[in-house]
Amino acid sequence: MHIDSIPFLIVVTAFVLVTCIGFAASRWRPSEEPMRLSEWGLGGRRFGTFVSWFLLGGDVYTAYTFIAVPALIYATGAAGFYALSYTIMVFPIVFIFAPRLWSVARARGYVSPGEFVRGRHGSQGLGLAVAATGILATMPYIALQLVGIESVLTVMGIGTSSDNVFIRDLPLIIAFGVTSAYTYLAGLRALALIAFVKDTLIYVTVIVAVLYIPARLGGWGHVFDVASAHLKTTNPATGKPYGSLVVMPAGEWSYATLALGSALALFMYPHATTGVFAASRRDVIRRNAAMLPAYTLILGLIALFGYLARAVPAVNAGVKANGGNSQLSVPLLFEHMFPGWFAGIGYSAIIIGALVPAAVMSIAAANLFTRTIYRELLRPYATPAQETRVAQLVSLLMKVGALAFALELNRTFSINLQLLGGIWIVQTFPAVVIGLYTRWFHRYALITGWAVAMIYGTVQAYRTSGGGQSHFGGSAAPVFGHVTYIAITALIINVVVSTLFTFVFRGAGVQDGYDETRPSDYLADPDPAAIPRPRPADLAPQVPADHVARHPPARTAAGSPSSAPESGPPQ
Amino acid sequence: MTHYAHSRKSPATWTAVAVLLAIAILGTLWIPLYARSAPKLGPFPFFYWFQLIWVPLSAVLCRICYLLLRVRPDGPAETGRTQP
Repeated sequence: MHIDSIPFLIVVTAFVLVTCIGFAASRWRPSEEPMRLSEWGLGGRRFGTFVSWFLLGGDVYTAYTFIAVPALIYATGAAGFYALSYTIMVFPIVFIFAPRLWSVARARGYVSPGEFVRGRHGSQGLGLAVAATGILATMPYIALQLVGIESVLTVMGIGTSSDNVFIRDLPLIIAFGVTSAYTYLAGLRALALIAFVKDTLIYVTVIVAVLYIPARLGGWGHVFDVASAHLKTTNPATGKPYGSLVVMPAGEWSYATLALGSALALFMYPHATTGVFAASRRDVIRRNAAMLPAYTLILGLIALFGYLARAVPAVNAGVKANGGNSQLSVPLLFEHMFPGWFAGIGYSAIIIGALVPAAVMSIAAANLFTRTIYRELLRPYATPAQETRVAQLVSLLMKVGALAFALELNRTFSINLQLLGGIWIVQTFPAVVIGLYTRWFHRYALITGWAVAMIYGTVQAYRTSGGGQSHFGGSAAPVFGHVTYIAITALIINVVVSTLFTFVFRGAGVQDGYDETRPSDYLADPDPAAIPRPRPADLAPQVPADHVARHPPARTAAGSPSSAPESGPPQ
Repeated sequence: MTHYAHSRKSPATWTAVAVLLAIAILGTLWIPLYARSAPKLGPFPFFYWFQLIWVPLSAVLCRICYLLLRVRPDGPAETGRTQP
């Protein structure tokens, strides 16, 4: 392949623009106390409805989704459409629990779900389990963002011709290095700003694509006909049809459980909770539950790109020439259907769309590590500045780790681990979400349930064959005759084991943990919309002394009410 | 100054919210409802346009729930003082 200069120049320009924004972001809404973890890691918890919409949308709809979902539909048809129904279901679910999580995090200064679990259940072990699960599940997710970028670079013809690993991956290393640098400096602020660019590019690309490409291909009717004809043909590897245009009765159960399980998983991922915690007010989250589906609509249209790609013979040839890698179908679709300059915009959308979530994920993992592992185990009396420095370093390490991961290990391994990550992260649901409502479960029972479910999920995923692989071949396995998403089966086991062991531990008189939260914390709203936001000058004398007395300084450090937006001089 | 989103909503409001959110979730969770190709909307099989239409519908349901649950923030719960 040769490098086409026009798309290449557009991608480079977009990347330079985003980099400038990233470095300039450290001066956006500056804080008097930049060396606080809630400043670097949560943008000072002051993102309103509008910024949160861009940040959350830019963060949870990752480039990998934009590559992998249409790739799945390109290959298997309707079965891949569960991604749309899961992103529909997720917002009613978030609407229910996320405001409580936001309030308690705000009232207690938590920056990560691990801390909440530790404080709520009075169990360092459970907090560690949640943090470790979050970090483990995040690492392959970051690596997959790189896989998304790689597929675009492959289609652009960049680097792929060299035999030298370093030269071949140089563009990826540069892109990741530069992103790490401004993430290190400006933290979540940089990504909130860049999310504007990312989302604008995505919206423009998708809207143009759905209007322009079908017209060139002879209309949606033709597109569906071609897809239907392809899906009916027999796959020589399995002896069955490739898929179907509508989910078959046999596939309904796995479709539903995959959708539900992924919806439960999404806001357990640390990068999504980071977006929630960064909101300035309680009602920002519920308002966004009604606004974020705009991205879901875009995702649904992108999913249909899989069928558009199927209707372009040159795309099918390109996928075949690259060893049947259907991940290339969307970039190839852009290459063959768009003029060079607009293909460049589409590529930029995917590349920047990979960098934003990858960076938010590294910040989220850093927040988890700093508060749940560093401050709990290594240095209990760490100052806010020390915490921030550790988090900055960990965010770098996460990125380097993911890069090594993506470059050294083969792609299949990252995808397997991502599949496992989804199963794992759902197992934190009882400790986090059920914990928001009740402390009925015993802390040790929750740990036991989590451990059993983690082991079951891992073993079951390992034993599942499919897609030409004998292990990790799929995320759904038969249970009592129904093919079910493993995460859901494991979650049921998790809850059942937790319930049984709660009776056991209570019966044996094992002491409950101490709950440091109070019922009012779950409703706290330090800066509600109806109250006019005080100007910085007015706020300083108003900061009530009783807040300092009620919350010991070690816990108020990051985000208690006394660190309300634009607070005055440090106290 | 911390305020608290105390809810003085009636059980009827909460029931309405629960029903609306359940509809939003079950709408795409209950696959037999839409796993069919007819009736088509233009060239789109039912399976696709039903789910695509469900996206704005779920947003509207969430918005209604938000409006139902919206509360006027009151003063600090613990001291009963109100901040000017």
